[in-house]
Amino acid sequence: MAALLRGLRAGRALRGIGGALVAPTATNPRCSSLRRGFHCAALRLQDESKSDKPPSSSSTNYHEHYQAHPTDQDTTAASQGDSADDLAADEAFKTNTSYQDQSGEQGEEYETEEQLQVRILSASLEFVQEHGWSMEAIAAGAETLGLSSASTGMFNNGAGDLVLHFIAQCNLQLTEILAEQHKQVQLGQAEPKHTSDLLRDAVETRLRMYIPYIQTWPQAMSILLLPHNIPDSLKHLSNMVDDIWYYAGDRSTDVSGYHHPRSPPSSARTFLSPFHHHPHNIRPATVQMNWYTKRAVLTGIYNTTELVMVQDSSEDFQDTWNFLNNRIQDVVNMASTAKQVQSTGEAVVQGLMGAAVTLKNLTGLNQRR
Amino acid sequence: MHRATQTALYEWPHVVGPAVTRQCLKYKAPMRQSLRAYSVLPPPRDSEEKEMLAQMIRVDHAGEYGANRIYAGQMAVLGRSGSGPLIQEMWDQEKKHLGKFTEIMADNRVRPTALLPLWNVAGFVLGATTALLGKEGAMACTVAVEESISEHYNSQIRVLMEKDPERYIELLKVIKEFRDDEMEHHDTGLEHDAESLPGYWLLKNAIQLGCKAAIYASKRL
Repeated sequence: MAALLRGLRAGRALRGIGGALVAPTATNPRCSSLRRGFHCAALRLQDESKSDKPPSSSSTNYHEHYQAHPTDQDTTAASQGDSADDLAADEAFKTNTSYQDQSGEQGEEYETEEQLQVRILSASLEFVQEHGWSMEAIAAGAETLGLSSASTGMFNNGAGDLVLHFIAQCNLQLTEILAEQHKQVQLGQAEPKHTSDLLRDAVETRLRMYIPYIQTWPQAMSILLLPHNIPDSLKHLSNMVDDIWYYAGDRSTDVSGYHHPRSPPSSARTFLSPFHHHPHNIRPATVQMNWYTKRAVLTGIYNTTELVMVQDSSEDFQDTWNFLNNRIQDVVNMASTAKQVQSTGEAVVQGLMGAAVTLKNLTGLNQRR
Repeated sequence: MHRATQTALYEWPHVVGPAVTRQCLKYKAPMRQSLRAYSVLPPPRDSEEKEMLAQMIRVDHAGEYGANRIYAGQMAVLGRSGSGPLIQEMWDQEKKHLGKFTEIMADNRVRPTALLPLWNVAGFVLGATTALLGKEGAMACTVAVEESISEHYNSQIRVLMEKDPERYIELLKVIKEFRDDEMEHHDTGLEHDAESLPGYWLLKNAIQLGCKAAIYASKRL
């Protein structure tokens, strides 16, 4: 919330400066926005005005103009000029005030720079087909936003930044879709899916986001394998896999006796099921290890399917989805096979113990004389 | 639904622009509240608090899990002896504790510690080995472990109280209740001749050292 206000404040400061500087009909949007940027940086240092507006109204204002922003870009006050340039574009901006803030200017600038980077990277995605995942694409993206291509200097990691940003966006999209589906099920408007179906759909949805970029995706994958990118890409991957399992109903820290109402009984859940069924025993750590094994398995499925996808030339990547289906079936089969093996093993052990007792009885060793 | 999803996917960059930009900066797995009307953990304000709470729940869960396995080991050896019912009673309380932490963990999407299989085996072995020393051995082990756990809960309570007692009131209630139970076990152990074990001091300190190491490891791994 605080970060939101800071970002909004930065935007408002920008807007205020824009209103002061730019002529009603901006003839040269690029120059004006650049100037605005410089002036903004300079003037923000002197901008100490506090506002009487309470935070709650400021946030509603933010939401208001945020929703209006995509539809009303053209009708924004002429002082905007290049409205796409400004994240906090506010056609309803009436008062040139900033919010009460106790934090230093340092916090504002950091937030704005990050937002700026994100915007540049989002814009650069359109140029990936042309320039590949590279600094050229970022430069081209920066130019569409009206900034000079020298702003690529902001990105120390270059192409890595672009790829990681794209991945983060995809993950966010996936999470929203899964949350929406989950909500539908909870509201009773949709049928709950079987776990394996949900996993398959989630992975397919996520991989389909790569389709517009599939020509250049091998390059992106190799960028992600660079040593300095590996921690970030692993983090994104693990977050995504965690999200998918969460929405698939995984509550793997369950101890026997506690059954979460939302989680469907899945064969994958009994992955490596308990070694013994002593009634007073809690299920041993292998159940808890489900948390890790499930995620590892899904990571494997996702990575292999991604690899298949980049060299798939079939219609609408049908081969890839078939491959995915087969992998998920494998996991389901393996889990149920493991369960069967274990119950067979237990039966065999009991049989052997029975045989041993019988033998002892026959040979008279069991009697106490 | 699938078709709509696909269409949405192809056009998502144009549709979601600013909102996604904003959210990308704060991307983290969303915290979902349980179906219950209240939740033991407050929704975290930032990633720092989330990490702190996650560590606390993770280590508490690991601790209760270990305690369970220790009692299981003790029961395996002494289950049919005179102290069986006593140990069983303490074990049941530990199971209750573990259930509570598992619930909190599942509700808040906290990762369990990867060392659980280790605590599984180590706990059982510790319980069984000390029980082989007789009833006094088992009680000495109980005293040592419960003292460690109580100390650990006390430090957690202290941390939470220092930060914001109002905010963590539910969690504090849970931890205080469990700490009281553990102190009770500790006193029970002392009552039942824990100290009469030869080498009590050595055993107790060794176990407590092990517990400290376990707590340190479970917080991080």
